[in-house]
Amino acid sequence: MNSLKRIFIYTFLSVAAIVSIFPFLWMLTSITNKSVDVTQGRLLPGTHLIENLKTLFATVDIVPALINSSIIAVITTFLTLLLASLAGYGFEIHRSKGKDIVFTILLLSMMIPFAAIMIPLYRMFGSISETAPLIGIDSLGAVILPTATTAFFIFFFRQNTKMFPKDLVEAGRIDGLSEIGVFFRIYMPTMKTTYAAAAIIAFMNSWNNYLWPLVILQSPEKRTIPLLISNLGSSYSPDYGVIMSAIVIATLPTALVFFLMQKHFVAGMMGSVKG
Amino acid sequence: MKKFNLMFVAAASMAALAACSSGDEEASGGSGAEGSADVDEITAWAWDPAFNIAALENAKEAYNGDGDYEVNVIENAQDDIIQKLNTGLSSGTTNGMPNIVLIEDYRAQSFLQAYPDAFHPLTDVINAEDFADYKIATTSFDGEQYGLPFDSGVAALYVRTDYLEEAGYSVEDVTDITWQEYIEIGKDVKEATGKNMLTLDPNDLAQVRMMIQTNGSWYVEEDGSTPNIAGNETLEAGFETYKEMMEADIAKIVSDWSQFVGAFNSGDVASVPTGNWITPSVKQAADQSGNWAVVPMPRLDMEGAVNASNLGGSSWYVLNVDGKEQAADFLLNTFGSNPDLYQTLVEDIGALGTYSPAAEGDAYAVEDEFFGGQQLITDLSTWTDEIPAVNYGLHTYAIEDILVTGMQDYLNGAELDTVLENVQGQAEAQLK
Repeated sequence: MNSLKRIFIYTFLSVAAIVSIFPFLWMLTSITNKSVDVTQGRLLPGTHLIENLKTLFATVDIVPALINSSIIAVITTFLTLLLASLAGYGFEIHRSKGKDIVFTILLLSMMIPFAAIMIPLYRMFGSISETAPLIGIDSLGAVILPTATTAFFIFFFRQNTKMFPKDLVEAGRIDGLSEIGVFFRIYMPTMKTTYAAAAIIAFMNSWNNYLWPLVILQSPEKRTIPLLISNLGSSYSPDYGVIMSAIVIATLPTALVFFLMQKHFVAGMMGSVKG
Repeated sequence: MKKFNLMFVAAASMAALAACSSGDEEASGGSGAEGSADVDEITAWAWDPAFNIAALENAKEAYNGDGDYEVNVIENAQDDIIQKLNTGLSSGTTNGMPNIVLIEDYRAQSFLQAYPDAFHPLTDVINAEDFADYKIATTSFDGEQYGLPFDSGVAALYVRTDYLEEAGYSVEDVTDITWQEYIEIGKDVKEATGKNMLTLDPNDLAQVRMMIQTNGSWYVEEDGSTPNIAGNETLEAGFETYKEMMEADIAKIVSDWSQFVGAFNSGDVASVPTGNWITPSVKQAADQSGNWAVVPMPRLDMEGAVNASNLGGSSWYVLNVDGKEQAADFLLNTFGSNPDLYQTLVEDIGALGTYSPAAEGDAYAVEDEFFGGQQLITDLSTWTDEIPAVNYGLHTYAIEDILVTGMQDYLNGAELDTVLENVQGQAEAQLK
């Protein structure tokens, strides 16, 4: 009975695993095949890897796109962690009369789809383009600002701060730490796993962000990786081998960040406070 | 406390709505108000490096005017261009917008109507009579010519001569036929070779679009906005033909572009009825060289239907921003009046324009070995002139989304009249 159950579970898990892994497998074999083989559904590794990579590097500027994406993702992640954790900490630790109302409004903003605020945002950035080109239309700054922190991350930090032992704050104050000192020297080290989890999500969000960079960035040399891939697929006769190569290269950094911080990620998502 | 929260929610959402509406009002006044200052550099947006971008690069070299400015060609995917234009134009910020932009013909009217001041008319710049009639209908609006017609979307039937031969047919047998004759041939081909006659994608009614244009009909009335679905005899014939193809079991079902291309690259189908821009994809399978021919599109079996249709195709537009004079000058002295440019377009990138004077050039007469020595470009160019002009109107893709479900109902056995009436009702309700 027990072994029958096991067989059933393992069969189910294997099917689920194959279904979720198959696209990656196909992506990886596709980078070694010619475009015509990809469209014909060839699943075996081919011999076209070097040619695909050569074509990719010859036809598109993938390195600048990687650099742009990295700059944006790293700065966005840093700002998200700093601002969202400060806000989450404030909402949870400090007592204030109106904070629940403010928090409710903040949460409501999570329900407005980005597409709805995109046009007003574009208008805002358009109006400051002349005076502040560093954060105007077609600047990396304009990509970073609206995504630098979101209600979700503030919510995330607030929920996790609920597990944070508040006695530590008191202890810190008694030992003469300033409020800022309590935050940076006690809260931050204690909440390492939460920061790690938030960092992964923020990095991935930023790295994969498509819509906003698409509308706000105009010059080809400022393009991010998702925009570059979108372009590759736009021709009447797309070269699938090359597109897949670009996708693999684009996937590597997020995969790397995830695997490096995986241990913390799981702990952070479960709300652990072990330091 | 709860009540208080609710009130706050209400207040916040009202504030948000108010912010939206006031933004729109200001936006409509913002565009087009720019001056006409000279600029040193103009920007052009297009998609597909092998086709439109290459055409722009060719145009830069072929430019024979006396303007002194740089043309900065930027590649964006087509959907990306639509998104960027919509965002930029509806926010009323001309900042970051290009001077020249390529827009697909099916979408042109909706842009021209939604942002009437955002485009710079080319009525006095180009000679509309130099271009294929059907392109002028889709690129003009309200009596003004806005677009400079670019590539021909002339549709054709690409056939595998070897499969046809095996089934006892010649190229003449599939030339200038009706869809009914096509289906009969398809059945014989399937019997003789085991190959399907064509691919069909149930989520893409391009096939129906091409069919109804052979009889000068479209999803909308002449006014471009009233849905013309229920009681549209041409559309009914298109639906019936589509169903016949499905029932005759001569179609391989595909669900996306790569499967579509894969089907003919791997020799799974005996013919490809589609736009002429598919030529490079067909030629991609070099081992099939000599086994292909291109014949005119089959027509619907109706009075007045012709063996010529269109699928896709796009045109150049000038935005009403600083540098519009230079942009118009660039277009005039390249795509607008230079037959030689069109020769290089055909030779270098296989892009077929709709500029009639170009058809006399040498490049158009070249014999293509892949297609058994056929003068492919000359043929396509001749068929381009025969395409019935229709007003694609504002809602081609919106109506097609509804039609796709209607087609499913019809294939599953629903009455055609009822299906089309339902689609008409839904379309009218949605597009009000």
